[in-house]
Amino acid sequence: MKTSVTNMKKSCGNLFAAITALAVLAWGIGCGQSREEQATAPPPAQQEAEKVRPRKLESARVTENTRQTYQWYCAQCHGAEGKGDGVNAKFLTVPPRDHTKVAYLETRTDAQLFDAIKFGGLAVGRAPCMPAWGHTLDDDAIRSLVQYIRELCQCEAL
Amino acid sequence: MKTSTFFILIGFLLLAPSSSTAEILRDKDCGSCHRLSVAETEKNFAAPDLHFAGDKFQPAWLKQFLKNPAVIRPAVTVIDTPPRPPVTVADANTAVVTAAGFLRERSGNSPPHPSFSEQDASALADGLMGLKISAPPRESTVAAPLSKRQRAKIKYKFERTFSCISCHQSLNLAGKVRGGISGPSLVNAGNRLRADWIVSWLKTPEAYAAKSRMPRYEMDSVTRNQFSQFLMTLKKENVK
Repeated sequence: MKTSVTNMKKSCGNLFAAITALAVLAWGIGCGQSREEQATAPPPAQQEAEKVRPRKLESARVTENTRQTYQWYCAQCHGAEGKGDGVNAKFLTVPPRDHTKVAYLETRTDAQLFDAIKFGGLAVGRAPCMPAWGHTLDDDAIRSLVQYIRELCQCEAL
Repeated sequence: MKTSTFFILIGFLLLAPSSSTAEILRDKDCGSCHRLSVAETEKNFAAPDLHFAGDKFQPAWLKQFLKNPAVIRPAVTVIDTPPRPPVTVADANTAVVTAAGFLRERSGNSPPHPSFSEQDASALADGLMGLKISAPPRESTVAAPLSKRQRAKIKYKFERTFSCISCHQSLNLAGKVRGGISGPSLVNAGNRLRADWIVSWLKTPEAYAAKSRMPRYEMDSVTRNQFSQFLMTLKKENVK
């Protein structure tokens, strides 16, 4: 009797070990993706851009007021020329976005930039260092800031 | 004749402290950097507005600061035109205004503020504490001390939900200074600011500053009070 109980315990242990090994393997590979698929997967920013519901942002003009607004608020972290080197930059755990970097900004739609400014970084899955400006700037001002960022990067959303 | 001389003397004695404050303010040219009256709206000032000093500061801190000044905001405002792309003809039609004034880090050897003798610091602090504005009615503030758990929850909100840490220095749980420098440091806010002023500032910033670099938030009364309570726990003696 004792032997059969011990054998049962052993086989349960083996089954548990097998399940654990399978689970670890599955987790290691990813949610239903093969290793090959993972290796060729697009970078996270691009993946997120594709997931976002397409939404066209009304066009806006960049005026002197837009530039002053950028200098007054955004330059604190993003720098006077938008290079991500404002006075706060080196004290932040996540560096402020460099608005002259085409490679990243091409992967963002205007609507995504608008949402990041209006609702803050955390609301759009980015760093919480970026505050929400929706109660400080109206939608027109935010739209014109999006256009100004496009001027700084000399780029458009792909 | 004797009676009128007596009243003149009494009147002089009553006026003496305020005229002494006015003299110091004039002699030290305080008005060139600080706004001292709500009516002065035309100019960008490099230093904090003082026309509501009595609403904002704790008197003991103010006197101590005037005797031994320390840096409050590590970044300085440069009232100048920052580098910018050329303005087009179309832009000229919607032209603005005043130069924004940009920020740079304070150089190590620039003095934070003129210092004053014990007597002058007392007179000046008393005078400045008399500068108040007819601000909106104050909300009642909660003075109860925060538990460790409550403090940690409010700190999370302060840093992540409202991003305050990006522009203001604060203390982390290990008592180390961290945070951005474009806003005033809050490391000693518990000694420097009045709890009810913090609540009022968060509710109606426009009553104090026509234009601040801080985002405006529409936070509820509970959050305003929580932030005030949290900031009151930040004191330089807690820096490790």
